[in-house]
Amino acid sequence: MKKIFSTFLFVLFTFLILVLGLRGLPGNPTGEEINQNTWKDDGPFELSPERGRYALTMSMVENKTFHFSLPIARFTTPDLGYKNGNYVSLFAPAVSFIVAPGYIIGKYFGLSQVGAFSIILLFAIINALLIRAIAKLLGANPLASSIAALVFLFASPSFAYAVTLYQHHVTTFLILFSVWILLKWKNFLSFALVWFLCAISIPVDYPNLFFMLPIGIYAFARLFDLEKTGKVLRLKFRPLILLSLITVLVPLVFFLWFNKESYGSPLQFSGTVASVKAIDEQGKPTVPGSAGQDRAEQFINPDLQKKSSILFFSTRELPSLLYSHLFSPDRGILFYTPIMFIGIIGVFMFYKKNGKMTSLLLAIVGFNIFLYAMFGRGGWAFGSRYLIPSYAIISIFTAMALTHFSKKFLFVLFFLLLTIYSVSVNTLGAVTTNRNPPKVEAVALEKISNRKEYYTFQRNWEFLNSNQSKSYVYRTFAKDYLTAPQYFYMVASLIILIMSGQIILLYLQARKGKI
Amino acid sequence: MKIPNLTFNFTFKKDTLEKIQEWFEKHALSFVIFILTTISVYTFLHYYLNGLGLAYNDARSHLDIGRRVVEGLKPGLAQLGSVWLPLPHVLMIPTIWIDFFWHSGLSGALISMISFVATGVIIYMFLKKLGVGLLGRFFGILVFLTNINILYLQSTAMTELLLLATMTAGSYYLMLWAKTDEVLNLIKSAFFVMLSTLTRYDGWFLFLFAGLLVAINIFVKHGLRKSFGQLKEVYQETEGKLILFATLAGFGIALWFLWNLMIFKDPLYFAFGPFSARAQQVQLESAGELVTKGNILLSTKLYLYALVYNSYAYPVFLGLSGLIILFVSRLIREIKIASLALLAPLFFNILALFFGHSVLFVQGISGNTLFNIRYGIMLLPAIAIFTGIAVDRLKALRWTLVGLFLFTAFFTFTSGDAVTIDDARVGSSQKNVTEVSGWLKENAIDRKGFILISAASHDAIIFSSGLPMKKFIHEGTGAYWQSATTSPDRWARWIVMRTHDDNDLVWKDVSRSEGFAKYDLVDSYPFADIYELKDEYLGELNTKPVFSNQK
Repeated sequence: MKKIFSTFLFVLFTFLILVLGLRGLPGNPTGEEINQNTWKDDGPFELSPERGRYALTMSMVENKTFHFSLPIARFTTPDLGYKNGNYVSLFAPAVSFIVAPGYIIGKYFGLSQVGAFSIILLFAIINALLIRAIAKLLGANPLASSIAALVFLFASPSFAYAVTLYQHHVTTFLILFSVWILLKWKNFLSFALVWFLCAISIPVDYPNLFFMLPIGIYAFARLFDLEKTGKVLRLKFRPLILLSLITVLVPLVFFLWFNKESYGSPLQFSGTVASVKAIDEQGKPTVPGSAGQDRAEQFINPDLQKKSSILFFSTRELPSLLYSHLFSPDRGILFYTPIMFIGIIGVFMFYKKNGKMTSLLLAIVGFNIFLYAMFGRGGWAFGSRYLIPSYAIISIFTAMALTHFSKKFLFVLFFLLLTIYSVSVNTLGAVTTNRNPPKVEAVALEKISNRKEYYTFQRNWEFLNSNQSKSYVYRTFAKDYLTAPQYFYMVASLIILIMSGQIILLYLQARKGKI
Repeated sequence: MKIPNLTFNFTFKKDTLEKIQEWFEKHALSFVIFILTTISVYTFLHYYLNGLGLAYNDARSHLDIGRRVVEGLKPGLAQLGSVWLPLPHVLMIPTIWIDFFWHSGLSGALISMISFVATGVIIYMFLKKLGVGLLGRFFGILVFLTNINILYLQSTAMTELLLLATMTAGSYYLMLWAKTDEVLNLIKSAFFVMLSTLTRYDGWFLFLFAGLLVAINIFVKHGLRKSFGQLKEVYQETEGKLILFATLAGFGIALWFLWNLMIFKDPLYFAFGPFSARAQQVQLESAGELVTKGNILLSTKLYLYALVYNSYAYPVFLGLSGLIILFVSRLIREIKIASLALLAPLFFNILALFFGHSVLFVQGISGNTLFNIRYGIMLLPAIAIFTGIAVDRLKALRWTLVGLFLFTAFFTFTSGDAVTIDDARVGSSQKNVTEVSGWLKENAIDRKGFILISAASHDAIIFSSGLPMKKFIHEGTGAYWQSATTSPDRWARWIVMRTHDDNDLVWKDVSRSEGFAKYDLVDSYPFADIYELKDEYLGELNTKPVFSNQK
């Protein structure tokens, strides 16, 4: 009963906070309306990843097609696809399908966009619950596990991406859910579910193939039991469990079917479709303002473009991008969520206890970090959004560290201070905007705008102090009573208060020997 | 959901598994040699066929030096010259006389290829002697042979692979000496260090560094808390072993001084002569391009960038972890200290940059191009060994570590990330002389007469022209050079030189001679211009070798 009640409180708290940060505007915008700045730069669709995915959802629900109408196509630029004379999505499709129920329900209440975004919010809450559950299963203290889950949700950039439409929380859910299943069960159904999750991860976001690979290999290895008895080694294998692999067919068929319907070929992936950056008044692809003349032909005739899915990734930039994702002021972990470094201590603690599971979790983190360190900085973003799955895994290790060191005053104090800082920074991002340029682009932007262009969370602070927030609750209800800074302080204080209380409680319990 | 409980049981006797493991252990080295050799031959063919094998300007120069020993207007060992150490060119002599071996670069590449296989074997043996299991050893080899930069360099007539092989062998035997205390291993180490001192100047630093490690090892072995009498004994043992080591290891250095004295009348000609690296660096410094001189932080930063670009970020990170693991492991201190010899290139290169003896351009950090970026490859054997240690010791994490390596290596190959090839193609280490050498090939091949050219400035043109070496009068041709630079119209039907550039020794002398007026400018090309003797003066031209038995 106590467990159910604490879980309920946990869910209630996280739901409340996330709703306070959820981005949006009231209304069911049409294709024409959604192209206005109210919805785009000044609204919830500030960047192309949100627009691209929402466009597909809108197109499916309103127009019953995967091909974009002209207004929706304009809305999606500059990340718009073009194939066989049709405007199509450049993004993996599953997220658009997943949020469709939210869109439909929201539309009923006059909140189609808010409804769609709410689905991601729900995934974020589930992720926090899964972190809590996994940490407990691995031996962390329940309270430490709760704190670690809140660290993930509110003290990392996952907060800013829980309140908008990105794929990261869905990806994180697939990873965490698979790990949780593997920890809990070892039967036909659990394997079937894990293979299904591995397969569905690809239409959610293509790089997920790599993050789910360690999980798939780990699951496959669990099909075999190795017993060492005396002078003999016995290997047991139940071949019929391999039938559980049949579940991969469902997402794969869906994926191939979508590709066929959208692009004309089941093996045409969205990332390799020609892209359109701008559309002219006649509705034809055209050259965007910033393009050089040498590429003009490719913009006007997108079919001339040749793209490869593999060539997105290069190891040459690994060192500088690792620095960017981990330590740089414009999006590094060090500046946006330094609390995550506590997780490294947890790795050492847990490695001694359970090397195998540490290996699996570190493999997921390693693939995540290295893949995106070969890809790019992530364009305009708040913090390093690509590492959200890693934040989730590291939070599990944070629970280990907290459990182990909860008696040490200095550690707890240091943890508390880092939490306060990290929560403040990420709440700032969540209630304002994700539209932060990387440093190189900010410097270039200064030459155009003739003013100081920030590239750290200072940009968010500037945004907030111009009395702006993209929160649906703020824009719809609270703005008549509070300024944007006051709203931020309210939300941040609430989180800090609850989390600080939990940390102090953990410390006191540890001192009393209850841990 | 209940499914039928059909279970397959496989039973293995531990004895059988141990026998299988023994079989693998027994044949592992042969397998490693086979794989390394196959990959070596394959990659040579790959780079030979696409022309990149001869892209480095220096590679062409090395081949020409080897060729001049066996063919030319004044062949002989003196053609080994100064500045560049002689071993790579000496090793070419058995094959360079064959035109195909010369012009394909195979004469030089063969040495690199053998060195590549040898280095791989030493990495394997090094790990084996450190007690690393089969997986760790194979992983170390994998890190080595999946490095595109090393695969490329081993296909060329550059000297990096020979240096790596000799330095790694020297370090390996030093580690063995520390482990077994057998003097024979110390002698072997000294021998390979000596070979490295005859390959590149990095070997000279290894000589000093290894000597220091020998001394430290002896002191550590005996313990530091000693009475005066015991310290005296330790000192004597150190002195004895150091002399033994230094005599053999330093023999090559002594020979080099002697060579310079005998051939150039100055034992320090290699260091201060007109073609020395110092002369080059003085020019660079006056042009403001020796940015690392006096700046330790920049020197370290640049070299670390070169290191990471050459060896790739993940192996460097894993190698660093392996180094830490080595030092906290239970291995005896002496082995750990001796293994530090593997890091000699790191210290050497940073110091060389700091003192201005070396130049390195990393695009975007120092200069707008790449130059000598390949110096960063020098730590690859060390990284391979340390990664093998990491994978071996971190048992629970090993499949994650291996998996991550394969993951990043996959993208290394798909993106063609090879900074040494970039330097060869578009950096400052390349020299596209096809126009001028093409003209020579077309117009000089069937016509009598010599070509006057500075080999120091235009070895790439000599090589790329495809003409026999005896067609060229250059600095090393003794009397021909002296005569041709004073009276070019009597000796040179064609002159290839950079007009108005006094750094080009041909221009410097010929432009001031009366005979120069008898030449027409054929054309101006990138890197050099071609002049041809006017037809009316051809009657007075010497077209046959006349100076025989020059000394």
